[in-house]
Amino acid sequence: MRRIYIKTLFFIAAAGLLALIVYSLIAFVPKPPAKEIDNARVALSKAFKSKADTYSKKLYTEAKANYDSAMVNWRKQNAKFIYFRKFDKVLKFAKLSTNKSKQAVESSNLSSSTYKSKLQDKIVSLNKLVEDITNYFNRYPLPKDTRNSISKGKLYLKEAEIDYSKGHYIPANKKLNDSEDLLSSAYDKAYADLEQYFKYYPVWKKWAESAIKESKQNQSYSILVDKLSKKCYVYYNGIKKYEFDVELGVNWVGVKKKMGDKATPEGNYRIVKKFSGTKYNNALLIDYPNDEDKVRFNHEKAKGLIPQNAKIGYGIEIHGSGGKGVDWTEGCIALEDREMEVIYRIVAVGTPVTIVGSMKNLQQILTR
Amino acid sequence: MKNKVFMGLAAIVMVAFLSSCGTVPQAQIDAVNVAIDSAAKVEAGTYLPTEFAAVQDSMKAIMADVEVQKSKLFKKFGPAKLKLEALLVQTNGLAANTAVKKEEVKKEVETTLTDIKTVIEENGKLFKKAPRGKEGAAVLEQIKTEMATIDAAVVEAQASYDKGTYMDALNKIKAAKERATGINTELKDAIAKVRR
Repeated sequence: MRRIYIKTLFFIAAAGLLALIVYSLIAFVPKPPAKEIDNARVALSKAFKSKADTYSKKLYTEAKANYDSAMVNWRKQNAKFIYFRKFDKVLKFAKLSTNKSKQAVESSNLSSSTYKSKLQDKIVSLNKLVEDITNYFNRYPLPKDTRNSISKGKLYLKEAEIDYSKGHYIPANKKLNDSEDLLSSAYDKAYADLEQYFKYYPVWKKWAESAIKESKQNQSYSILVDKLSKKCYVYYNGIKKYEFDVELGVNWVGVKKKMGDKATPEGNYRIVKKFSGTKYNNALLIDYPNDEDKVRFNHEKAKGLIPQNAKIGYGIEIHGSGGKGVDWTEGCIALEDREMEVIYRIVAVGTPVTIVGSMKNLQQILTR
Repeated sequence: MKNKVFMGLAAIVMVAFLSSCGTVPQAQIDAVNVAIDSAAKVEAGTYLPTEFAAVQDSMKAIMADVEVQKSKLFKKFGPAKLKLEALLVQTNGLAANTAVKKEEVKKEVETTLTDIKTVIEENGKLFKKAPRGKEGAAVLEQIKTEMATIDAAVVEAQASYDKGTYMDALNKIKAAKERATGINTELKDAIAKVRR
């Protein structure tokens, strides 16, 4: 009886010992930081989705490197005997990776939204610049290289807009910068040219004011031509009665210097003759060249600024056949026929015609 | 006594068996990695970036699963194996879809190139009819310059197309087409104005 009791006790002890051994085998296996690794992977994936690889490159690269280090270390530890494995480094790299990924997401969201809004602003501002260039310089005789820059700048802007709409902000930014360089330099060159031209603005202003004043004093008609805005204003009794579009000589910028230069003169003139049924329908001949023009012509000729065989021009008219949408005359001022008819009907020989570069100053015209 | 020794040995063999019954599905891992490389080579990252990133992420998750199993005393690679098989199908599908997408973009570039050439040709004809009066004019000069710029852009797009970089070609040609169409409208308006 006692033997049976000892035997049973021995078996219970053996079973207990075996269970303890099995338990120890399982319980003392080091636990890998699987959850932390998964968190790191998810965070890294989120960072990639938020384009941190582009907008927060440094943090994203660090996060990725830490994740890779965690995995490499994990593999290294797994290669060891099961009870000798240590996962503290794996855990450290996984946590570091998660933190860096989170920072990368925040930084990327911030910089991509800032970046996006900056790009949007740039697109708007460049389109405004293109609009300004088109409005003010499309009919302004610009040098070929300036026109080239404008043209390329516009095309880069279009490409940038396409990239932007697809969310490709980095290439969009590059193209916007290229576009900005070209358009701004073209604008600046054209602006400098125009600024030079506008040195005469105080004179133009004086001419325009006295033309309007004269119309008021004499209770008569007065014609005012604004070359830059391509407008012809008809005043009566100091009040603007009509406003028409005009087309000018091909080289309309600046004063007329000599015959055949295709420039429209600037100055105070009067109608000296009215014609109807001419090549350009109704026409009003003005007294170009006036005394001032003759003095300037002789002075420039004497100084060698114009060729010695050059002749002073003549036959400048306000005539019909306009409305072509381009500057095409030899120096005359062309209006659409029906508008020319209005002027032809109301003005008489002796009516003053004042031709100025612009009635607005440069700041009023160019607001960037 | 013999029985006790036998039982002890059996327990040890059992533990050893359980702890080593799973083997890493290396062949499947290698197959998926090869498929991912192939997808990368056919520019899945360019043409289907979201799908490509998803495949890469899935692979990362599976590799973490594999390491989890490797860390255990009783390894079980069955689920990872199944996931790898599914991912292989997905990745191969991605490579095929990339080829389809690339072909679509290629076709779009070809169509746009044909379209723009027609617009450019028409612009050339319209330019001759455009009002220029006695001499050339600033507006026409600008249009002429823009037409030359568009021609250059078409050449660049064609070069990108010839190199097989269809996305670049598409962006360039789309922008050029928009400008060419804009010029077409400008020229038509100018001609219509004169005819009025």
